[in-house]
Amino acid sequence: MSDIILFKAKKVITMDPNRPTATHVAVKGDRILAVGGADCADQWGDVINDFSLSEFILTPGFVEGHAHMMAGAIWDFAYAGYHDRIDPDGKLWSGKGDLNNVIGDLSEYEKTLLDDQPLVGWGLDPIFLQDERLSRKHLDQISETRPIAVLFSNFHLMCVNSKTLEVVGYSNETNAEGVIKDDAGHPTGELQEMAAMFPVMRRLGIDFRSLSQTEPAIRSYAKVCQRAGVTTVTDLFSTLTDDDVTTLTRITGEAQFPVRIVPALAAVGAAPAEIAQFALKLQSMSTDKLRLGAVKLMTDGSIQGWTARVKWPGYVGGQPNGLWNTPPELIYELVEEMQRVGVQMHIHVNGDEASDVSIDAIEAAGRKHPWPEARHVLQHCQMMGVDQFKRCANMGICTNIFANHIWYFGDQHAALTIGNDRAERMDAVRAALDAGVNVAIHSDAPVTPMGPLFTAWCAVTRQTMSGRVLGAEQCISVEEALHAITLGAAYTLKLDHDIGSIETGKIADFTILAQDPTEGDGCALKDIEVKGTVSSGVVHLI
Amino acid sequence: MTGIPLTVIGGYLGAGKTTLINQILRDPQGKRYLVMVNDFGAINVDASLLVSADEDTIQLSNGCVCCTMGADLFLAIGDVLDGDTRPDHIVIEASGIADPAKIANVAVAEPDLVYQGIITVVDGANILDQLVDRFVGDQVRDQIRVADLIYVSKTELSEQLLMQVATISKAPILKSDTATIEMLLSPSTPKAQDQTAAPHAAYTKWFAEADVEFNRNTLIYALQDRPKGVLRMKGFVRAETRMLSVHVVGAHIDLTTFPNDVETGLVAIGLASEMNAQDLDAWWANVKKNAKAPYSML
Repeated sequence: MSDIILFKAKKVITMDPNRPTATHVAVKGDRILAVGGADCADQWGDVINDFSLSEFILTPGFVEGHAHMMAGAIWDFAYAGYHDRIDPDGKLWSGKGDLNNVIGDLSEYEKTLLDDQPLVGWGLDPIFLQDERLSRKHLDQISETRPIAVLFSNFHLMCVNSKTLEVVGYSNETNAEGVIKDDAGHPTGELQEMAAMFPVMRRLGIDFRSLSQTEPAIRSYAKVCQRAGVTTVTDLFSTLTDDDVTTLTRITGEAQFPVRIVPALAAVGAAPAEIAQFALKLQSMSTDKLRLGAVKLMTDGSIQGWTARVKWPGYVGGQPNGLWNTPPELIYELVEEMQRVGVQMHIHVNGDEASDVSIDAIEAAGRKHPWPEARHVLQHCQMMGVDQFKRCANMGICTNIFANHIWYFGDQHAALTIGNDRAERMDAVRAALDAGVNVAIHSDAPVTPMGPLFTAWCAVTRQTMSGRVLGAEQCISVEEALHAITLGAAYTLKLDHDIGSIETGKIADFTILAQDPTEGDGCALKDIEVKGTVSSGVVHLI
Repeated sequence: MTGIPLTVIGGYLGAGKTTLINQILRDPQGKRYLVMVNDFGAINVDASLLVSADEDTIQLSNGCVCCTMGADLFLAIGDVLDGDTRPDHIVIEASGIADPAKIANVAVAEPDLVYQGIITVVDGANILDQLVDRFVGDQVRDQIRVADLIYVSKTELSEQLLMQVATISKAPILKSDTATIEMLLSPSTPKAQDQTAAPHAAYTKWFAEADVEFNRNTLIYALQDRPKGVLRMKGFVRAETRMLSVHVVGAHIDLTTFPNDVETGLVAIGLASEMNAQDLDAWWANVKKNAKAPYSML
């Protein structure tokens, strides 16, 4: 019996300029043997025909170049956010348009819990709720006896009910910063920043570590990916213990495991040289579906939190410039050491001052330790201008741009953070492509939902939540967007020899779609139905 | 069980935080410190003290433990609180750019911890440049602003440096040779009855009766407005028919309802060069006089 499987599709979109479309793709083991028509694999002998995908469109498996593993296990908690979202098992959680919705839906959820279980919610974003601020009084309507904590979408704040305040011992005598109080001096239930949230998390058993690297978390993440049509996903800012690597290696080693994971080690908690050596050791432990060895550097904060480091004229509300999470001096040290020993970096840069410093640091390191193939990647790149993109192009630095921000926060950026004119040139994918930079686009899940087609739609249409087009000059074509979520992202992970296009010799990773994304002007991209994926030759229908 | 004291050591890159921590580990003066650091590599203890060392923990024969905090400091603190061995005191080395107040605040919030102050280490040789650095100047300034105690390393205290730091913070400023580690981390306030001298010549002690009833907010205001030089103040007072335990570390003031009836009184400790008992006596007499005045009247 033949070991060649010939998939027939309605259309195969290859991203290979030599053969942009096809109808068949032949797979042997986990690799693509041939692409073309019904006879494409005839030279290789007998084939087994597989018609199960013949009604669908195949594209190269999508690559999500910036996401976090907790996007899966966060669904262990109850969703309380503004937008509709779908959990890893396919259940739709409707968005909560006002506080009554939040209370109503969480009350229903509360009935499903065991007696001694706390209620933990996530995803609340007060920026979208017009009415009064969530307080313990609202949450007490859900339960006065069960501890309740609702995490905000940025994970920097939470709101708890009176029972939780009692469990933690917060009262009008508490004077910890971040324990917000009303005019009468009583805690409102809102807790800001980790120090104030920590006692709650400790007592309610909310452990962010268990949301990553544990077996359920890894499997849950894979489900999220599969629904989004993603066959290769990053986990940027990973803490990887030896046990974590063992677990990841075992699970991703299963033939049926549907996604390739690319963790980037968090470059914190040790001297640069030590981090670099650990990354090199990890590199040597890579397997087909677990690609290790890159690191992630933090630099500044976020624009919507006014903690991004921005150049003059700064924030329109007159807020002080943001905060460095890593001081420029240390960024230089880390970048030089990684460049010296040959460790690829993903560098978080939201504000344009952070991207400036990072590009400077890479240039300085490059003069000392030339490495043209480094492919360091700037991540988010939200305020980068043409000048910075050109420098990236000259030095082979890649950019992975946060296109989803346009829809989710674009209106806020125009009104509240950096003002209208700079918001119109935010997340400037057009400028980056024109400057000749390799570009990927991303979701930063769970910050925004993983969905490369949605991300592509954002980059093509640049529509905000209010329906406005934010900077039409920066729109890109559908083809460019599809490139960014496949080959473009694969290139940033140094995996473009293996994935990113449907070409003979590459790994058989496909996304199965119900509609053709190249038909029309791109306005329908976000509504295209993902039917499943093929990962290393194995079909995973949803 | 009372909480574990927690002290945060802040300061910009290269300020001398690790030097201080190495001193703590070498000479803990009978206390079992647990020290959390960013970078293990710089920890330098005598090999004869080593009991064991692995990737993220060093155990010393003097009872101290040094560990890395990894990517998440708060999870590491949780592990200590939920662990089997209870240290006498937790010391956290903040990263070079971190706001130490954001870390130390956990000791105010968490009932199993006791706030024991922020020591910001200032690089005497470079601080004036760092304060005007266009990238990090504001964050370096904030590290000084939130300090309960400022510890100047590397140089003599120049007038210019003292003036510059004093415009940012009212906290006492120590030279590296003034203090023993024990005094730096927890200037002990012995029992009220114990009228012996302060345990180190550089420090002085003050004791006062608190034989009147206070308005809680008025007392908070008064404590904020106390004479300079007090590093730490501790004791019990009576307020609105209940007992309050008083815990003052630098700018941090904590007045918590205390369930038992105990003897009232206050003890303060401070630098002999800065704290003046007469000033404190005069201040306290005035506080007692207005003890029951509503806060809004002051």
